[in-house]
Amino acid sequence: MGVVARTGVPDRHSEVLAQQSTDMPPIAYAAVAPVLIVLVAACLGVLVEAFVPRRQRWAVQVALSLLTVVCAGAALIRHAREINTGGTTFADTVAVGPATLFLWGTLLALALGAILLIADRSIEPGGAFVAETNAASGGTASRHPADAPGAASAEVMDRASASVVGMRTEVFPLVLFSLGGMMVFCAANDLLTMFVALEVLSLPLYLLCGLARRRRLLSQEAAVKYFLLGAFASAFFLYGLALLYGYAGSVKFSDIADATAGSLRSDTLLFAGLGLVVMGLLFKGSVGPFHLWTPDVYHGAPTAVTGFMAACTKVAAFGGLLRLLHVAFRASSWEWHWVLWSVAVLSMVIGVVSGLTQRDLKRMIAYSSIAHAGFLMVGAITLTERGLSATLFYLLAYGFTTLAVFGTIGLVRTSEGEATHLSDWAGLAKRSPVVATVFTFLLLALAGIPATSGFMGKFAVFSAAFSAGMGPLVVIALLASALAAFIYLRVIVLMFFNDPAPDGPTVSVPGAFTTAAITLGVVVTLLLGLVPMLALDWASVGGFVS
Amino acid sequence: MLDPYIPLVLMFALAFGFAAFSVAIAPLVGPRRYNKAKLDAYECGIEPSPQPVGGGGRMPVAYYLTAMMFILFDIEMVFLFPYAVSADALGLYGVVAVILFILTFGFADLYVWRRGGFDWD
Amino acid sequence: MNLLLALILLPLLGAIVVALLRGNERAAKPVALGFSLAELVLAAVAWASYRPGGARLQLSGSIEWIPTYGISLSFGLDGIALVMVAVIALLMPLVLGFSWRERLPSERSRGGFFALLLVEQALTVAVFAATDVFVFYVLFEIMLIPMYFLIGGYGGSRRQYAAVKFFLYSFLGGLIMLASAIGAYSYAARTTGQGTFDWATLRGVLADAPTSVQVWIFLGFFAAFAIKAPLVPLHTWLPDAAEQAPIGVAVIVVGVLDKVGTFGFLRYSLPLAPEASQLLAPLVLTLGVVGVLYGSLQAFAQTDLKRFIAYVSIAHFGFIALGIFAFTSQAQVGAASYMVNHSIATGMLVLVIGMIIARGGSSRIADYGGMARVTPLLAGMLLVAGLSTLSLPGTNSFISEFLVLIGSFATRPVFAILATVGMVLAAVYVLRLYQRIMQGPLSGTALLDSAGGPGAATDPEFAASGGTGSGASRLALRDLDGREIGVLAPLVVLIVLLGLYPAPVLDVITPSVEATMSEVGVTDPVTSQGGN
Repeated sequence: MGVVARTGVPDRHSEVLAQQSTDMPPIAYAAVAPVLIVLVAACLGVLVEAFVPRRQRWAVQVALSLLTVVCAGAALIRHAREINTGGTTFADTVAVGPATLFLWGTLLALALGAILLIADRSIEPGGAFVAETNAASGGTASRHPADAPGAASAEVMDRASASVVGMRTEVFPLVLFSLGGMMVFCAANDLLTMFVALEVLSLPLYLLCGLARRRRLLSQEAAVKYFLLGAFASAFFLYGLALLYGYAGSVKFSDIADATAGSLRSDTLLFAGLGLVVMGLLFKGSVGPFHLWTPDVYHGAPTAVTGFMAACTKVAAFGGLLRLLHVAFRASSWEWHWVLWSVAVLSMVIGVVSGLTQRDLKRMIAYSSIAHAGFLMVGAITLTERGLSATLFYLLAYGFTTLAVFGTIGLVRTSEGEATHLSDWAGLAKRSPVVATVFTFLLLALAGIPATSGFMGKFAVFSAAFSAGMGPLVVIALLASALAAFIYLRVIVLMFFNDPAPDGPTVSVPGAFTTAAITLGVVVTLLLGLVPMLALDWASVGGFVS
Repeated sequence: MLDPYIPLVLMFALAFGFAAFSVAIAPLVGPRRYNKAKLDAYECGIEPSPQPVGGGGRMPVAYYLTAMMFILFDIEMVFLFPYAVSADALGLYGVVAVILFILTFGFADLYVWRRGGFDWD
Repeated sequence: MNLLLALILLPLLGAIVVALLRGNERAAKPVALGFSLAELVLAAVAWASYRPGGARLQLSGSIEWIPTYGISLSFGLDGIALVMVAVIALLMPLVLGFSWRERLPSERSRGGFFALLLVEQALTVAVFAATDVFVFYVLFEIMLIPMYFLIGGYGGSRRQYAAVKFFLYSFLGGLIMLASAIGAYSYAARTTGQGTFDWATLRGVLADAPTSVQVWIFLGFFAAFAIKAPLVPLHTWLPDAAEQAPIGVAVIVVGVLDKVGTFGFLRYSLPLAPEASQLLAPLVLTLGVVGVLYGSLQAFAQTDLKRFIAYVSIAHFGFIALGIFAFTSQAQVGAASYMVNHSIATGMLVLVIGMIIARGGSSRIADYGGMARVTPLLAGMLLVAGLSTLSLPGTNSFISEFLVLIGSFATRPVFAILATVGMVLAAVYVLRLYQRIMQGPLSGTALLDSAGGPGAATDPEFAASGGTGSGASRLALRDLDGREIGVLAPLVVLIVLLGLYPAPVLDVITPSVEATMSEVGVTDPVTSQGGN
C-alpha cells in the first residue's frame, strides 16, 4: 500500500445528512492494522474473561496480550517498510506518517515490557493485582463480582490463598485498550478523535491504578485522584476544543493550521482554545505546573502499572502534543512559544527541586519524570525536523529506562510488600550487588551520564534546541540536569556506601517475565547510549502528515 | 423577524404556568392523610438506605451496578435511535458502524452477564 | 591508531580480568600490576614512535560513531597528551604497589579497588587521546563514575560527602562545557552547512568566528576546566576529595585527573576560541595568581596532611594557568612541562605522606614529630619530594617553574612578580612541614599511641630524646621496606634526572606548544628572549 488515499467525504456535516446516502470512507487497513489488532485483541480479552475458566485465564490473557503486541509490531514493520510519506485515512480523522509510526513502534515495544512486568506472579505470589474474588477463598463470601470498596483488602487475603486464587486478569484487556487509545492519540488528525482517544487511553488507566493487591487504600486514593484530576483535564481539553472550533470552524488540524496562517479572526478564541487543549495534554504528560497528580498516582498505583503509565502515557501525551504543535499550530508558534518555554523551565525546576526532598523512591522517580517532561518540552517546542526526531528518540530512550526502573523497584520487598522508602534501600549493594548495579546504571541513565541512552536523548534534544535558537533554555536545562544528578546520586550513595539495616528488605529473585522486562530496558538503555544511530535513523525518517 | 419564535415563547409560558399552577394548587385541594410513608424521601416504597450515609449506614453495592448498567444501556439507545431515524441516509457505512458498535457493546454485556452482574443475589 | 587503541583497551581488559578475580586477592593483585606494567611498556613504545617535529596529531585514527551529528571516535596524540599518557602509565604501577597492603574500609575487596583504578586509567588515557570534542566530553563525564566509586567506596569517614561533591562539581562543569560544544557544533553547522565535532575542523571554523561567539564557547569550556584543574573560586571539591580519598586515588586525582583541566586549556580553550582566550586572559591570569597566593597561604594553615597537599596543588595549578595564558612559548612550554613535573613531584609527596599516615594512622600534622630519628629513609624521601615541590634548582620542577616565570614576565610582569611570591611561600610551607613532622624530638600522639599499652618497658633511647614511647613503637615505626622503596625509587630517579636533563620532555612538548601558539595566532614578543 503506497500513499494512503484521501477520502471523498464532504466536509460539512449538514450536507452529509442532506444527501440520500453516505459512502463508506476508504480505509487504509495496512496503515492502521497495528491499532486495529490491539483494539480487537482487547475486545477478545473481554470475551476471554467472560468464557474461559478461572484457572486458565491468566495464561490465556498473557499469551493473547503478548501475541497481540508482537503481531501489531509485525504489521507496523511491514507497513513502515512500504510507505514513504504516509497519509490520512478514516475520512481524514487518522493520519499515519513516519513520526506516528515511530511513536507506535515505541508504544508497542514499551507495552511489551510493561505487559511482562504486569504478568509477573513470582515476586508477589499470585501477581501484583487484586485477587480474584471468590466465594471459596474465605469466609466473607462476596456476592458481587465487583469489589466492595475497601473490602477485598490485603488483610482478607492471606498469602497462601492468594497464590492459589491468582490475580484479576481484567488487567490485560485494560492495558490493551489503553494502548489502543494511546496509538490513536498519536495519530489523531482532528481534535475530536484526539479527545476520544484521550478518554480511551485514560479510563483504563484510572482503573488500573486502583487494582493494587497491597496497600489498597493508597492504591484506591491514587485511582480516585487520577480520575478526578484527569476528568478535569479532559474537561479543559474539551472546552478548548469547542473554542478552537469556534475559531477555525473545524476541528481538523489542517483546517486549524490554515486558519491560523494569516487570518483576521479573533485571536482570543485561538489562544484560549489552544491554552486549554494544551493544558489537557500537559496534564497527561505530567508536565510542570500540571503535575500534581503524578507523585501520588505513581506512588499508589501497582508498580508495574506505574511503569506502564510512566513510559507509555508519556510517549502518547508527548506524541499527541508534538503532532498538535507541528501540524496545527506551527504558524502561530511566535505567540505561544514563550508560554511553553516557561512551562518547560517550570517543569524542570519543580521536578528537580521537589525530587531532591523526596524520601520515597517511587515519588522520587515521579518527580524525576516531571523534570524529564521539562526536557522533553524543550525538544517539543523547537518545531524543527531535528527537534522532532530528537524528541522522539528521547521518548524511546526515557520509556525503556523508566520501565526498567520500576521493574527493579518492584524487586525490593519486605513482608508488607514493596519497600520503596529510601532508607530501605541502604546497603543494597551488599545484599544484592547485581540489582544494585543494574539500578545504578538506570539511575545514571536518568541523570544523563554519557554511554547511556539518557545522555544521547538529552544531547539530541538540547543540540536541536540550540540550533533552533533556544540557547538560554538549553543552558537552564543543562543546569537542571546537573542538579537532577544529585537526586540519583543520593540513591547510589545509599545503595553502595551505606550499611544495610538489620531488618531491611529482601530482594526477590525475579521471575522470567520480570527478568525479561528489566533486561529489555537495560539493554536498550545501553545500546542506545553506545549506538544511538540504531533509533536515531528511524526517528529522523520524516515528520507528521496531515 | 421574531414571528417564528412567538409560539415557542408562548409554549414556554404555558408550560411554566402549568407547572406552577400544579404545585401551588396541590396542597390546597389535595386530601391530607399523614402516615409513616409520607415522611420517606420517596413515597414509592423503596427505602433509599437504612441510614443516611453520614450516619455510618451502608448501601447495597448492587445499586451502583444497576445504575451503571442503566446508564450504559441508556447511552446505547442514545446512539441507536438517531441511527434508526436516518438509517437510509447513512447506507451501508452506517450499518457496518452500528453493527460494530453493538458488537463491542455486546462483548461487555457478555462479560457482565458471565460474571453475574445481572444477578441481584 | 592501533597502538593508541591498545593503550586505551589494555587497562580496560585488565580491569575486567581483575574484577573477575576479585574474590581471590592473591591472584588479583599481581595481575593488576602486570597489566599496569604492560601499559607502561606500551606507553614507552608510543613515546618511541612519536616524532616530535611531525604531524600535529600522531597515532591518530577515527571510527564513525553518530554520523547524524558528525561525531566519530577519533583519537590522536600530540606531545602534551603523550607525556600525560606516559605519566599515568608510570604512576599507575606505583599506586598499585603502594596500595598493595593499604587498609581498606571493611568488606571492600582490593580486587575491586584495583579494577576501578585500571578503568580510571583507561578512561584517562582516552580523554587525553580524544580528538573529537563530543567524545572528549563523553569520556570527561564517564571518567567521573569510577572515581566516584573509588572515593565513595574506599575513602575516609566523610567519603560519601566528598564523592558526591566531587561528582557534582565536575558534572556541572562538564554540562556547561557540553553547552559550549553544542554551540560550536551549531556554529559550524550554520557557517559551513555541515555540523561537526571534529577538533581540527572545528578549530578551522571557529578561528573566524566573531568574538562574541568565541567568548561564549570559551567560557563554557573554561567552566569545566577551571573546576577540573581547580582554579580558586571553584576549587573547594579538591581538598575534600584529596582528604577523603585513599592515598592511591589521591595520587591519581592530583597527579593526573586534574591535569585534564590544564590539558583542556591547551587543547580546547586556546585553539577553539583564540580571540576570546586572549581577550579573557587577564581573568584567567588573575584567578591563577590568586590561586597561587591563596593556595600557598592555605597550605600554611592546614592541620591535615592530605588537605595540605590539595592546597599545594591548587597553588601549582595557578602557576600552570599563568603559564598557559601568558601567551609566550616559553611560558607555555613551562606550563606543559610543569604538568608532568607536578605529577611526579606531587605524586611522590602524596605517596610519602601516605607512608607516614600508614605508620601513624592519623592524617593530622600535629600528631607527628621527630620521625627522622626513627625513620631516616622516609625523612629523606619526604625531603626529596618536598624539595621538588618547592622547585629547588636541580629538581625537575625548577626548570618548569622558571620557564613559566620568565615567559610570563615578558608579557605580564605584574602577574609574574606576584607569582614569584608564591615560589617563596612554597619553600616556607614545605620546609615547615618537614620540620614539624621529621625534626626535633619524637613526639605526637599518632606515633606514641602506636606504641604498646601503658606499662610497656620504657626505651632508654626514646626517654633520652624526650619521648615517652616504648620499645614497641620502634617496631611500629619501621623505616621504609623494600616495597615502599621500590615505589618511590623511580620517582626519585625521575626528579633528579629531569632536573638535570629536561630535554626529553621539553623536546616532545615544544613542537605541540608552538603549534598551539600559532593556532591562537600569537608570536613571542621579540624583546623577551632571554628573559633576564
